[in-house]
Amino acid sequence: MAAQTRTANRHHRIIIWSLLLLVAATLLLPLIPYAMDYVDPSGTVPNPGADLWRDVRNGNIGTSQVLGVDAGVLINDNGERWRHFRMNQLIPVGAMFMGSVLALIVLFYLVRGPLRIQGGATGKMIRRFSVFERTTHWFTVGLFWLLALTGLILLYGRFVLIPVLGPEGFGLTASACKEAHNLFGPMFLVALLMMFFTFVKDNIYARGDMTWLLKGGGMLGGDHVSAGRFNAGEKIWFWIAMIGGAVLIGSGFVLDFAVFGQGREVMAISHVLHGIAALIVITVSFGHIYLGTAGVEGTIGSMVNGEVDEAWAKSHHDRWYAEVKAAEGGGENEESAGGTAATGVASPARDA
Amino acid sequence: MARMKFLCDAERCIECNACVTACKNENEVPWGVNRRRVVTIHDGSPGERSLSVACMHCSDAPCAAVCPVDCFYTTDDGVVLHDKDICIGCGYCFYACPFGAPQFPVAEAFGQRGKMDKCTFCAGGPLPDNSPEEYSKYGANRLAEGKLPLCAEMCATRALIAGDGDTVSDIFRERVTWRGSSGFAHGWGVAYKNQHRDSKGKAVEGKAAGGD
Amino acid sequence: MFAQLVDGIFWDIALWVFAIGVVWNILSIFRVGNKPDYSEPRGSAVAGAVATNLRRFMPRSEMVSRTRLQVIAGYLFHLGLFALLFFAAPHVLFIEAQTGLGWTSMPYWAFIIAAQLSFTGLLLLWVHRVMHPVTRLLSDMDDHMASILTFIVMLTGCMALVEAFEGLRVLHRFTVEILMVYFPFSRLMHAFMFIPSRAFTGAWFGRRGVKA
Repeated sequence: MAAQTRTANRHHRIIIWSLLLLVAATLLLPLIPYAMDYVDPSGTVPNPGADLWRDVRNGNIGTSQVLGVDAGVLINDNGERWRHFRMNQLIPVGAMFMGSVLALIVLFYLVRGPLRIQGGATGKMIRRFSVFERTTHWFTVGLFWLLALTGLILLYGRFVLIPVLGPEGFGLTASACKEAHNLFGPMFLVALLMMFFTFVKDNIYARGDMTWLLKGGGMLGGDHVSAGRFNAGEKIWFWIAMIGGAVLIGSGFVLDFAVFGQGREVMAISHVLHGIAALIVITVSFGHIYLGTAGVEGTIGSMVNGEVDEAWAKSHHDRWYAEVKAAEGGGENEESAGGTAATGVASPARDA
Repeated sequence: MARMKFLCDAERCIECNACVTACKNENEVPWGVNRRRVVTIHDGSPGERSLSVACMHCSDAPCAAVCPVDCFYTTDDGVVLHDKDICIGCGYCFYACPFGAPQFPVAEAFGQRGKMDKCTFCAGGPLPDNSPEEYSKYGANRLAEGKLPLCAEMCATRALIAGDGDTVSDIFRERVTWRGSSGFAHGWGVAYKNQHRDSKGKAVEGKAAGGD
Repeated sequence: MFAQLVDGIFWDIALWVFAIGVVWNILSIFRVGNKPDYSEPRGSAVAGAVATNLRRFMPRSEMVSRTRLQVIAGYLFHLGLFALLFFAAPHVLFIEAQTGLGWTSMPYWAFIIAAQLSFTGLLLLWVHRVMHPVTRLLSDMDDHMASILTFIVMLTGCMALVEAFEGLRVLHRFTVEILMVYFPFSRLMHAFMFIPSRAFTGAWFGRRGVKA
């Protein structure tokens, strides 16, 4: 009886252990290759699929029967970064930057008003810019605003102009702007070179510029600060325009003539540089325009007729005024440097 | 509502370029434009894989996001299309696209980009379905005829699958189950022992690259 | 609607006004005639006419340094405009369609360069005209109108460069029609008159044995 029971118990145990062993084997045996791999890395079997995608992610260039720039690149990783830059940074930050500077200028005008000529105009005029200098300036101005407006339309038109013109109307406008922008862009190189060689000699750092800067150019109150033909502020604007212009032209050529095999990465980087430089130069130009027109009385005439009032010259550019007077005293004609035409002969029409 | 998807199975694609040819033929695309292309990674070495790639009809399409004239739209089938009457050919979609899908007609010296052209999932464009104007501007509209893109229908190894995303993923899931895991074939490490590649695609001798 | 007018009746009107106006203008100048010159000729009138025509292509040596900008910009503008007007591909095709006479057009890159040079010249000349006190006094509405109209015609032409938007082509043709109507009544007539007027001066002085 007892033996029978024992036998039955053993059978039960054998059955239970067998079952457990089976379960364990089913669950664990398939893991053995993985476990071995885990214990001994030299036996690692690479997952070819994972390899492939990792290579693709790393920009591993493949080959393709289709010929074309970047045809062998399966995934363009930069696209998403460029999209983020353009849509989330350039467009909103640029708008805020330009808008806030404009608002500051308006606010400054409302609070301070225009800077008057000290002691009033004398009516005696002296020549400040030659015909060639003014031609260079306005030629550059014309090209700059043609390019800036067409560029801004391409950048902001989707948000501002589509509601007004409709999709087809804006498509037409944008196409026209794109063509004009691409065509006028290279001409800006001519303008920039003319600008550089005409004005560079008076825009090099000179003694007194730092003092002018530290005193804020007299804009924040206090006396006028001594300055030469161009003050430190004008010099900074000159160099911002020159360096910004050079960046714009360099990147613009890359973007404009996309036939030299430059790929998407180069184009995207050029676009980033182009956008940043354009928004900086446009924004700073607001300040330049304000100071040249409404901001400082008697300045606009220097670029229209080439002449300024003596009182204006004495207060804003005293050292330049002294140089001009000294040259006149020396019996020299006042034809300015860089001039090509007989500017001092006729009395210019004042109505332009 | 169906959401159309392409899927290319790298374990099956044999780089025959039949999809490219079928696409060119069906859509009569201009010279120099290839809406679909086959890219081969590690060509001629162990681990070589080919993939047929065209517009993947993204849900959040980067091309549509950056387009300055907003000419892209997504159809009810989830196909990303664009309006060539609005497109100005600026090329921004090409910079943003992860797959290099947007194409431009061949440029001359000092080239002018023409209007963008890309895979339409054989769904034509915004013009009336299967009208001659639609065909000449956008190519075939097979979807309107109840057919799927010809590239996928032509694929001899069934590497390229196109259709409703749910169906496509069902098919692929079944394949993956049969294979064991994605791209993992038992015995691979034996067949290609010690010929692994590091992340830069260089063959690594001896001990397998730890990172793999 | 507007496009039909521009391509149809407006074009016809502009063409007739231009043709009749130019012929009328030239005839009326020649009809004025010369007073008989009884003096003994001291030189050849014909040789004077030819020599002056050639000599006027460059400014007098005393003026070279003072008019460098005008000379360079003037040549850039006129040569560029000549190339654009007669050798731009769309213009050649248009002339061929209208008259049956066709010739080789410029390649695209040459068009771009011609347009750049021409615009640079035109803008510089116009700004200089406004900035120089003498030319500012000498210039009247006609001069400014001619410059601005030419600029607008060239600008709309370049905007229509891709030939992608019908509206831009129509706009360009419309501005051309305005220019054609304006042309015979303005100093733009110098395009036809510069050779006869130089010849007249040259012959007048040549007969007197004077270098004009």
